[in-house]
Amino acid sequence: MKAILHVIEYDFRNFFRYRWFIVGLIAMNLADLFISAVVFTQMASTSIVVNYFRFFAPGLAVVGLFASAFMIGREINMEVRREIHHYMLSLPMTRTELAIGRVLAGGLRGMLYMTPLLITNFIVLHLPTLPQLLLILLTLLLLAIGISGVSISIAVSTTSFEKFVTARGVVYYMLFFCSSVFYPLSVIQVLATKGLGPLVTFAQINPLTNGSDLIRSFLLDSPEYVFSPLMLLNVAVFSCIFALLATFAYAKILQRH
Amino acid sequence: MGLKKLGLVVERDFRMFIQYKFMLVMRGIWFVSQVALFGLVVNRMVQESAAAVGINYFNYYVAGVTIITLYSTAMFIGYDIFEEAEHGVFEYLLTLPVSRRELVLGRSIGGGLRSFIYVGPLLVVVLFILGVSNPLYLLIALASMFLFAFGVSGMSITLAVAMKSGDKYDILIGVLDALIVRLSTTMYPTVYMQRATPAFATIANFNPLTYVADMFRWGTGVEGALKFSPFTAVLALFIFFFAFTFVGVVFYERRLEGGSWQ
Repeated sequence: MKAILHVIEYDFRNFFRYRWFIVGLIAMNLADLFISAVVFTQMASTSIVVNYFRFFAPGLAVVGLFASAFMIGREINMEVRREIHHYMLSLPMTRTELAIGRVLAGGLRGMLYMTPLLITNFIVLHLPTLPQLLLILLTLLLLAIGISGVSISIAVSTTSFEKFVTARGVVYYMLFFCSSVFYPLSVIQVLATKGLGPLVTFAQINPLTNGSDLIRSFLLDSPEYVFSPLMLLNVAVFSCIFALLATFAYAKILQRH
Repeated sequence: MGLKKLGLVVERDFRMFIQYKFMLVMRGIWFVSQVALFGLVVNRMVQESAAAVGINYFNYYVAGVTIITLYSTAMFIGYDIFEEAEHGVFEYLLTLPVSRRELVLGRSIGGGLRSFIYVGPLLVVVLFILGVSNPLYLLIALASMFLFAFGVSGMSITLAVAMKSGDKYDILIGVLDALIVRLSTTMYPTVYMQRATPAFATIANFNPLTYVADMFRWGTGVEGALKFSPFTAVLALFIFFFAFTFVGVVFYERRLEGGSWQ
């Protein structure tokens, strides 16, 4: 456990080195909410979304969580390219401890970054009850760990930064555009009429859909969004799969390098 | 000023651009997913209200995404300048039998031209989707897009040479991108910005992205009438192009001397 904590501390120190990057990221996220979402509120049909600004606010927390949890992959990819992983592998800890520490650190950093965005949600929507807050935090933590796992799996499987960035882009567009982060799930059905039915199914099982809809179920007071334990289960399954995959990939592939 | 030497600088920048093949592929994927996923779904969400103001939102959005792509690829030149400073290529460039002015002007032209060439195939697809109502209007719109691309390239060079850190440049570009794109008519018409917050609409009226996006929509017939005359839009884009190309050239030329990039 102590070794894992050391790895987490190392990654947190690295995270704060990117403070300007984080400031820029927060500015972009807030511009999405306080400019784009405010304008789309005027445009969106009220029969589909009553208030787009309120609808999008929980989605924004997920957007922020994704961006920051994914940053761990960027660092690991850089370490692989600059061969810093040799140093990491020489540390007095097992490969598994190192890998678990990195996956957890990625998730926890995502939680840290997302906190101001979640607080913004509480301000513009309303405060959840304590059990609701704990459920939201648990779901987002699981989601962050899963995203960190996806990011690390891609980072150790790509040999160049360009390939990593390209893979990240593809994953980002697939996960976000086929989810209810930006628009309600009911609207995505339109893709089925254009011959893109599998994308609708993907949107329904997408952990980002379940994560953002879970927050909405507690903060929007709308009959359309009702909490279901299946939402939490969906995110937990995603998290377990990708955390395990990343741990295995990090521990094994790094040794091969 | 030798045109041949200028051409060589432009050619070099174009060759460098092609090296970003993964980035270019990613931009292409972004474009396709913006149109085929985001555009289609958001259109479903806003079509009622857009129809009320006489807009087919899907077409409106496709035209806007084309301009965002043009903008973001024209900004690439700034990253090249940082790469060169980091890897000591500046020194090599200064030893070339090309005057400082030719080098700087060539880079500004190259930055704009390559983004336009990249957007070319996407533009063909977009024109296929949107159609062309008046070829003359389209030509005027394409000319204004040229001016815009060169202006953005000059702006990117100006920002890149004004900053010492690649990380800070990256952040500034991110923040600028977030504001300049969102406070323009690339994604939504001014009428909704006005309804949301009049200040947004006021800022959008001074944004070059607004002018070029509206000109492109006018050129393709997506928007029947412009809020301002085409002459005003072209003039505004010319001022943007001239100001940044000039400022970019002067800044870059000054920075080249004395190793201040190090």
